[in-house]
Amino acid sequence: MTSIHQMHERLRSADGIEAVLDAAHDAFEGLLSIIRAHEDPADGLFIPLVMAAASAAEGRNAITFAPSLPPRRLHPATGVAELGDTNITVGLAALSELLATRLVDAARDAPYPSDQAACRAAARCARDIRALLIGTGP
Amino acid sequence: MTSRPTFGDFIHAAYWHLDPATTVHGLPGSRGSAEEVSRSLLRVITVMRRYVEDMTITFPGMRSRPQSELAAWASAAIEARVALVSGAVFLDAQAAVSRWPDVPAASPLARRLDGVTESLITGRDLLQTHFGLDWDGRRQHRSEWAFVITSPTVTRALLAEIAALSRTIAAQGANLALAYLPGGRDNADVRRALNAACQWLWVLNASVQAAHHREPAPVTDGELLCSIPVNAPPARRLPERGDPVTALCEGTVTTAERLRHLAWDAAERAPWSSGLSVTSMYQVAAANAVTSHNSEVLLRVLAARTAQPGFGQVSAQLSAAAEAAARTRHAWLGVAHALDDISTDAKGRVSRAAAETRDLAQWSGRLAYANPDWTPATGPAQAARAPEDLAPEPEQVPLVTAAAHQVSVALTRLARAEQEQIRAAAQAGRILVTTRSLSDEYDIPRPFARAPRARVERLLARYREAAHSSRQITAAIAPAAGATRAPSRTLTAAAAALGHGHGHAGAHEKETMPNGFAPMPACPEADHGPGPVEVTLRRLGVSRADLLRRGAELDQASSRLIIDAANELDPGQRRPSAIVLNRSAGAAEVVNHALASGDPRAVALLRQHARPERESPEPEP
Repeated sequence: MTSIHQMHERLRSADGIEAVLDAAHDAFEGLLSIIRAHEDPADGLFIPLVMAAASAAEGRNAITFAPSLPPRRLHPATGVAELGDTNITVGLAALSELLATRLVDAARDAPYPSDQAACRAAARCARDIRALLIGTGP
Repeated sequence: MTSRPTFGDFIHAAYWHLDPATTVHGLPGSRGSAEEVSRSLLRVITVMRRYVEDMTITFPGMRSRPQSELAAWASAAIEARVALVSGAVFLDAQAAVSRWPDVPAASPLARRLDGVTESLITGRDLLQTHFGLDWDGRRQHRSEWAFVITSPTVTRALLAEIAALSRTIAAQGANLALAYLPGGRDNADVRRALNAACQWLWVLNASVQAAHHREPAPVTDGELLCSIPVNAPPARRLPERGDPVTALCEGTVTTAERLRHLAWDAAERAPWSSGLSVTSMYQVAAANAVTSHNSEVLLRVLAARTAQPGFGQVSAQLSAAAEAAARTRHAWLGVAHALDDISTDAKGRVSRAAAETRDLAQWSGRLAYANPDWTPATGPAQAARAPEDLAPEPEQVPLVTAAAHQVSVALTRLARAEQEQIRAAAQAGRILVTTRSLSDEYDIPRPFARAPRARVERLLARYREAAHSSRQITAAIAPAAGATRAPSRTLTAAAAALGHGHGHAGAHEKETMPNGFAPMPACPEADHGPGPVEVTLRRLGVSRADLLRRGAELDQASSRLIIDAANELDPGQRRPSAIVLNRSAGAAEVVNHALASGDPRAVALLRQHARPERESPEPEP
């Protein structure tokens, strides 16, 4: 099990396009698994979470089309991500903000246009997730 | 409740042209040229024949099997065709010009008939938009309405409309044909032929009446026919701040109709379409989960609004629909979860249908929640509308019910369309998985691989569940829509016409059409008017009620005598031509009165048991 803090750390410390893409891919998957575990129709967050899940999946899928994404995970898959004590809105919004920042940087530095396009598309999804969770979404 | 033109617009226009109260064509009456009216009547008959020819698709075996073996309405369709062919023969024989007139006709009745022709042609064109031709030139369905149009239900309704128009036209045409015009330019043969053609229109009417007596057609048949829209999506609309509930209902219905249209198109599209992407599928699944959630909220508020005297079982029906909406939300979430594990070869492309599912989520949310700025991204914990805010007056309950009903049908259609597309795409090898998502047992040196069959099957099963639970919402709302006479009740009629109704008919749906005709306001001239004896008495200035009543009784008795006698003739005995029957104006009036009585047996006056006298080539109107 990976905690949301570990995902933060991996993203922050990722060095080079391959590592950033790998960490971003896993972060989107982590976001998705956390959201799936919290989709409760009785909760007021239900609709923002459902829409955020679609953006998380779209972001992950965008990265899978980046040619520099390593074909094998650089870190072993750890199953469902864990939120810990963090408030879900705060935790996911912060992770998606970091994702957007790292992907925008990666898009600027990426050598291939396909990597750049994938990073830009995924960064847009990360921004959408944050906006949906804090109530200023698209 | 649709912003698109419907068939009803044109059939109503046809009646409008014939209505004596319509004065744009000139005052109704016996003025005008019989020759000109004959030409216009031939155009009407020609387009009516086209409608009846179209019906051969509905009734299999209509052309090949003996008429005695056919059901009542199939038999009526054949008899209608024979009557139209026979009527046209008289008009053709007078060398009536079939082409559209270069200048508007001078005679008021001819102008009315030309108006009817134009309305009927446009109405048929509207119906034909639901059909096309495939590469081999075979007729192909282009919308879900195509199945409804070719159903026996709609065919029955169409025959009833043609019969009602025929009856009205026959009365007006015969009125002109038998009018005494001193110094009139028309010769007697033209007038006799015109009267004979009108008599065949009465025969058509009587044939349809007979079918209705054998197999009564419900009122909903006519409502369904009139509700058929043109096969073009309505214009896209987005909600605006402060839209009243009525506007929100209209916007929801319009968007649901657009989605059904787009879903049909998407399902028809080739499996290699670039719009088929996992991004599109995700957006559809997420937006539909939200729409289902909104539907549940909306239906619960509406159930609370109708939990008072006067609404019968409506509240309980809407509560059941809300339960089904909750299950549908769960099913669409299941679709989204299943999509977590797959990908497609097209990246990032969003189909039009996917983009518009978000519109439907927004419209349904504006209806369900109190926040006038609601969007799926507004934020958590939105309060639902108060019941009295949703429908302040009872008249608004049917509109909101219709909106929820239309949403459920759109969700069902979308689930089916996605399912069909994914099945086709899987067969074409377009449903993929990332190799990162596969276990280490797989050693594939590429980022993507064809999705394992089990994953595709799991995804398809989720779509099946979504379609099933969406249908359950529809089934639960349908009785409420019927009971409140919501505009969407035609959806129930359409489903019933296709043989997959939900077994429910509102109380009004069990009513049958009075006299077998569509519920149009009666046109006085089309009604069974006074007979020749009564007319003569009135022309003499007689106003004593007992004398007029006696005259009417004599007219009825003479009609009955003629009809009885005609029915006792040997079936093999050849009937005289209508021209022979109409040789004197007096005899023609008596025959007209018998035919206009609506007695189905009156057809024996003219109808041969053999084929019609001569089949004329079909002219272009």
